[in-house]
This record gives sequence, structure tokens and C-alpha cells, in this order.
Amino acid sequence: MRKFLVITIPIVTLVFFICIMLSGSFFKKPLGKDDNIPESIQLILQDVESENWEGARDKTDNLSNAWKKIVKRIQFSSERDEINAFDASTARLRGAITAKDKSAAFIELSEAYEHWDGLGK
Amino acid sequence: MNEGLVVLVRSIIAFFSLLIFAKILGKQQISQLSFFDYVLGITIGSIAATLTTDLSSRAWPHFVGLLTWALLGYIMEVITLKWRYASKYIDGEPTIIIMNGKIMENALRKMKYKVSDIMGLLRNKDIFDLSQVDFAIIETNGQLSVLKKPEYEPLTPKDMNILKAPTGISTELIYDGILIDENLRQLNKTKNWIMDQLKMQEIKDISEVFLATLTPSGSLYVDKYKDRIKKITDIGDYKGPY
Repeated sequence: MRKFLVITIPIVTLVFFICIMLSGSFFKKPLGKDDNIPESIQLILQDVESENWEGARDKTDNLSNAWKKIVKRIQFSSERDEINAFDASTARLRGAITAKDKSAAFIELSEAYEHWDGLGK
Repeated sequence: MNEGLVVLVRSIIAFFSLLIFAKILGKQQISQLSFFDYVLGITIGSIAATLTTDLSSRAWPHFVGLLTWALLGYIMEVITLKWRYASKYIDGEPTIIIMNGKIMENALRKMKYKVSDIMGLLRNKDIFDLSQVDFAIIETNGQLSVLKKPEYEPLTPKDMNILKAPTGISTELIYDGILIDENLRQLNKTKNWIMDQLKMQEIKDISEVFLATLTPSGSLYVDKYKDRIKKITDIGDYKGPY
């Protein structure tokens, strides 16, 4: 019993903490149907490429919704700066789509992907 | 991102990690045995604080820092335990600064202690006259240990050839109005015995007692909830909020 208290509990606690802190790279990956960030970015890229601005706007909404789900899962293991930077990127992307600015939309999409990639690293 | 929630979770991680690491590092960390341990404690505490509230970076790097510091502290402890040579270097060694009543000036200079520091440390030990000191040693934790000259040592029963029975350590029998049966059995006493003792002090029920302790020599201490003290001595010398 003493051994359990002195050795097992601290080890299990530390392992649990380490799992929480390192869970970012696992939880940022898609676990359901509508939380695939790289795929969402890819779909928007295609729409921007073909100048389908309406579709791009809808897909940006989907990206934002997927991102909201991901943030809930990764908030304990990721840095706030990357999360905020992704939010800013999607906001600018919306602006670029509204202005129908192809190059700005590409820049923002590529930056958003980089922020997603940097999460938990 | 719910910052409050994240800080809450990080606080829990930092708090319990620190607790576990401090436990592994042992009591040294808590009693601030040497300056190095003191610095180690401050650094580990500071890393734990950043781990809790610095949300601009991930918790993991801070945790690695915390773990590394705790691990190095632990390794140092093991080295000083197993290898006396290293222990002398890391922890230092006790230095005699007063020998046979004479101050060792060179030792004082080496330790970077002023005479006024030594006088202060001696006063902490209730010694106001240097001529009473036979030996004084600065320990590795910076505290002063003093051996007085035999003529200034307090008189003990042994000096007078008086035989005294050992008093022993007192054991709690009643706490917060509840009888502790286990301790009662340990001292070979029964509930009836304690009730008789309480009756002698005009106590009808155990629930009236806040604390009762008994030494192996048979000295019983009883404190009731109702103290019946009419005039309470006030040791405060200045008016305050309480």
C-alpha cells in the first residue's frame, strides 16, 4: 500500500501530465468528419484558384467551425500565440475573399496552414 | 481558447509536479540546507510559475526545464551522499571559528564573516559574552553551533546526582471531543480510567474536552472547550484591527 502511494501515484500523475502536455500533435489531427484543417484549407485553395468566391466563403466558415472544435482539444497543450495567429489568418482570409483578392487569399491560406502545422511542435 | 481554464489545468500540472519533485529531492529542499539548495528551490519555483501562466508558449518545454532542474538537484544529492570528496566541495564543511575560546581570524576571513556577524549569531544562541564560548563552529547551512566552557554550562540533575524518571513523549488521548481508542490501548489504559480522571477534574463527558494528552510517566494534561477565564491577558501593545 505504501509503495503504491509513494511510487505508483506520483509516476501515474506525472505520466498523465506529460500526456496532456504532449497531446497537441495528436488532437490537432482530425478525429471526426468536420474537423480536418488541412483538407479544409485545400478545398478553399481550389475554390480560390477557380475564383469560386461564394464556395470559398462557405468553406472558410467550415474551416472556422473546424478550428473552433480543434482549439477546444488542443488548448491545454499548445501555445496561445499560434492559436491567435491562426484566428488572425482566417480573419484576413475572409477579407481577401470578400475583396476577391486571389494573391492575398493564397498568402493567408498558406500562413494558416503553417500555423496549424506549428501547433504542438 | 478559455484562458482561465487553461491556467487552471496548468496550475494543477505545475503544483503537483513541483510537489512530487520536491518530495523526491527530499527534506533538504524545504529546510534550505545550503545556499545552493536555496537557489535551486527559487529557480524550480520560478519555472513552475512560468509553466502556469506563460500561455504564449507550450507547457511542455517548461515542464522539461522543471524536470531537468529537479533531476540535477537529485543527482547532486546522490553524489554528495555517496562521495564525501564531492560533498565537501558542493556542500562545504563545518568551520571552527572559535577554538578554546580564541577567535580564528583566518577562518573568519575565509568564510567572509565579520566579527559582528558572529556576535549576532552568538546572541541568537543567548550568549552575550564571548568569554563563555569554548568552541564555535559555522555549519554548512550558515548556522552557528556553540559549545560553552564547562563552567558556564547549566547545572543538570546528573551533576547533582539526582535520579529523574524519564518523562517520555505525550500521546493524544482525546482530540476535538473524540476519544482515540488506539492511543489509549497503547498506553495500557481503559475508557473507565480516563472517565475517572475526567470526573476528578469535574468533566462529565468526553465531548467537553478539546485536548487530553498523557505521558508514559503518567502526567495527564486536559484542556476543556470552556476555559472559564474571566480576565484574558492581552499581550498586544498597539491597537490594531483585531
